Amino acid sequence: MRIARYALLSLLLAGVAASALATFAQDVPYERILHSQSEPQNWLTYGGSYNSQQFSLLKQINKQNVSQLKVAWIYQTIHPATNIEASPIVVDGVMYIAEPPSTVVALDVRTGLRLWTYSPKLPEHVVAIGLQTTSRGVAVLDHTVYIGTVDSHLIALDDKTGAVRWNVHVADNAMGYAMTGPPLALNGKVIVGVAGSEAAVRGFLDAYDAKTGKRLWRLWSTPRPGDPGADSWGPGAAESAGGTTWNNGSYDPELNLVYWGTGNPAPDFNDDERPGDNLYTCSLLAIDPDTGKLKWYFQFSPHENHDWDSDEPPVLFNAKIDGKERKLVGFANRNGFYYVLDRTDGKFITGRPFVKETWAKGLDANGRPILAPDQQPTLGAGTLVYPSITGGVDWTSPSYSPDTGLFYVSAHETGAYYIKGTGEIEPGPPKGIVGGGGIRALVGEQSYGAIRALDATTGKLRWQFKLLAPAWVPVLSTAGGLVFSGSEEGNFFALDADTGKPLWQFYMGHAARSNPTSYEVDGKQYIFESAGNIFIAFSLP
Amino acid sequence: MTSIRSWWLATAIPIICAAAIATGTISAHAAARQDAQAAKPEEQSPGKQLFEERCSTCHGLDAGGAMGPNIQGIPFRLGADPVKAIIKNGMGGGGGMPAFAGQLDDAQIQQIVDYLLTLQRKDSAPITGDPAKGKEVYDAGGCASCHMIAGQGGDAGPELTTVGSLRGAGYLRSAVLYPGTDLPQEHVFVESGGQLDYLFIHLVTKDGKAYDGTRVVEDSFRIVIKDAKGNFLSFRKADLRELQKETGKSVMPSVKGKLSDEQVNDLVAYLASLKEAK
Repeated sequence: MRIARYALLSLLLAGVAASALATFAQDVPYERILHSQSEPQNWLTYGGSYNSQQFSLLKQINKQNVSQLKVAWIYQTIHPATNIEASPIVVDGVMYIAEPPSTVVALDVRTGLRLWTYSPKLPEHVVAIGLQTTSRGVAVLDHTVYIGTVDSHLIALDDKTGAVRWNVHVADNAMGYAMTGPPLALNGKVIVGVAGSEAAVRGFLDAYDAKTGKRLWRLWSTPRPGDPGADSWGPGAAESAGGTTWNNGSYDPELNLVYWGTGNPAPDFNDDERPGDNLYTCSLLAIDPDTGKLKWYFQFSPHENHDWDSDEPPVLFNAKIDGKERKLVGFANRNGFYYVLDRTDGKFITGRPFVKETWAKGLDANGRPILAPDQQPTLGAGTLVYPSITGGVDWTSPSYSPDTGLFYVSAHETGAYYIKGTGEIEPGPPKGIVGGGGIRALVGEQSYGAIRALDATTGKLRWQFKLLAPAWVPVLSTAGGLVFSGSEEGNFFALDADTGKPLWQFYMGHAARSNPTSYEVDGKQYIFESAGNIFIAFSLP
Repeated sequence: MTSIRSWWLATAIPIICAAAIATGTISAHAAARQDAQAAKPEEQSPGKQLFEERCSTCHGLDAGGAMGPNIQGIPFRLGADPVKAIIKNGMGGGGGMPAFAGQLDDAQIQQIVDYLLTLQRKDSAPITGDPAKGKEVYDAGGCASCHMIAGQGGDAGPELTTVGSLRGAGYLRSAVLYPGTDLPQEHVFVESGGQLDYLFIHLVTKDGKAYDGTRVVEDSFRIVIKDAKGNFLSFRKADLRELQKETGKSVMPSVKGKLSDEQVNDLVAYLASLKEAK
């Protein structure tokens, strides 16, 4: 009942706003995010809903009229920055975005006018090793906006003023910890991950009390001697590092499980000191959010040494497998394979490459890769391996459409020479990247990108739209039968979700990095994306 | 009919070189890498060590590009001081290139720049000609109708004012004898480009008109070429019936068979002498 009331309230407010041209940011209790599908005019969490499907139920903009899509307004960041990666949160006429490095801005969604801003006081020198000093966005819960900062603070802001409600120190930036991922707001708690595997930090996932900022639990993503999984590091367990959690997770309220990906073990390319599978790096973790206990894990790349993090948001969907309705999670991994797992227990269902890969001959019955020979980093000129360090896809969100049953991903077709270097981790603050080697990527005409539509239950390719270069651009699909994404050269475009045929294209002048999103206000649907220094809202004339 | 290269970033300083080849199977890039690797004294240099520790994960162990751009020869193009400032302050308002102020001192930054200078694309072919005579060959051959040196000349082809700083004699010789066979790559972020410069394009529109030219810029939806007269021609790929990319061809005519060996040597010596803008 409460949900229906909120939906009705927001409809009423939208009507009022149309005449008064006012903005109304309303309370966002957990139940509203839980049922975000009932209010597609808003965008209440990073991937549009807890299932991270990057799917909008709005269909005013559709196959028939998308060719008329025009720029409605442009917002320029306060400070020059070409590394916007943030996706917006839209609540009843107000949009919350994050500007690089960790500034929060509230905007009027009709005009792009700034309502308030908040910039944390950052150290003069932020340690940012192997990562961009940026933010992928904020989370909203009740009357509060949450941001993880590049110097590893979690800060809670009042949603009307940007005033600080609380500020907690999550981890030591001087040791290489940074926060760039959006927090995940659940019932009464906020979950955040950390970046810094290239500084050889030890990864973890934290939960904080949404009202007070008190830490409720911490789940380390690599074990220490005596912990479960420690034997997967050999003698290296005492210094196990990596497995960072630098993007967003998903949540299944019925199973009460949070799903979160982890990054590479450290050092990236030199594995001399870390024999074994190196749990729980390059894995998908399923966690009880009430206790922080690990319920199950699935490791995509055991003993990884190509920097193929598994930090893409996991996509939750239900579909029939062999005639039986199943709760699934789909994951297009940086290692080049698309996986379908049972999200109740993490059991492997199927997997297949979605780009050219040369490092594995396939996956066994449990989804473990069957390694190909001579595909590890080597001294000297290195070894040519597909995919490249940027993977089949890196962190950029894919999209799942319940209408088509297709999983849309911006795929990278490229390889790299992987070179092994020295791999010692020195104690104390990092002096630089602890990569243990390096790469030389294939470039130019040797590589390309594509928006690929995979059958979500099998991973089989249904169609592709080729791009000149591999693109780091997330994907949105809509009930209007459209797929939105971008090219690395700066195009933003709409494809027919059934066929991949291009229907609209706009040159923004810089590649997009934010999730394309959609919202509606005053009866008008908008498509929203960033490019370089700007955020752009598109609508029909 | 316009050319817009705004997505090729600030680091994508126009490469000042005619389309060129290496005569053997080893490209000029590979030759440059071999040179860099072969330079034994540099391997022990503090700059190289610092570069590998601090820069190589993004820029590649040979500075040829990884997650970040190829920066071989960057100090030659931008100048040492601007490169030092970039290392110190980062780029893009805290963007992709982080600031190293506070992590590296001025002496260390200088060492890295010194090391980068050793990675200049180069080859070891000797210069045997006479630059003064080479200038006469250049002038008599009509090169200036397409190429500009120090503000004088045409603009259909690449500017050559400092081509001697960017290309070795072997590369220049190949460029004038076999234009279009081994092409340099744009210095851009790896994932967005590293496309070949001066690639020869033959295209036919859906209404049957054919055009030849050099690729100026291409994206997933459009392509801009420059024809032999220096005109920019812009096309939507959706309007094309045919789009061929042909290495080994060029709008620049070869001097092979038109100049004597001695004249080629002199021309190469002249081009190699063009080091800095006057």
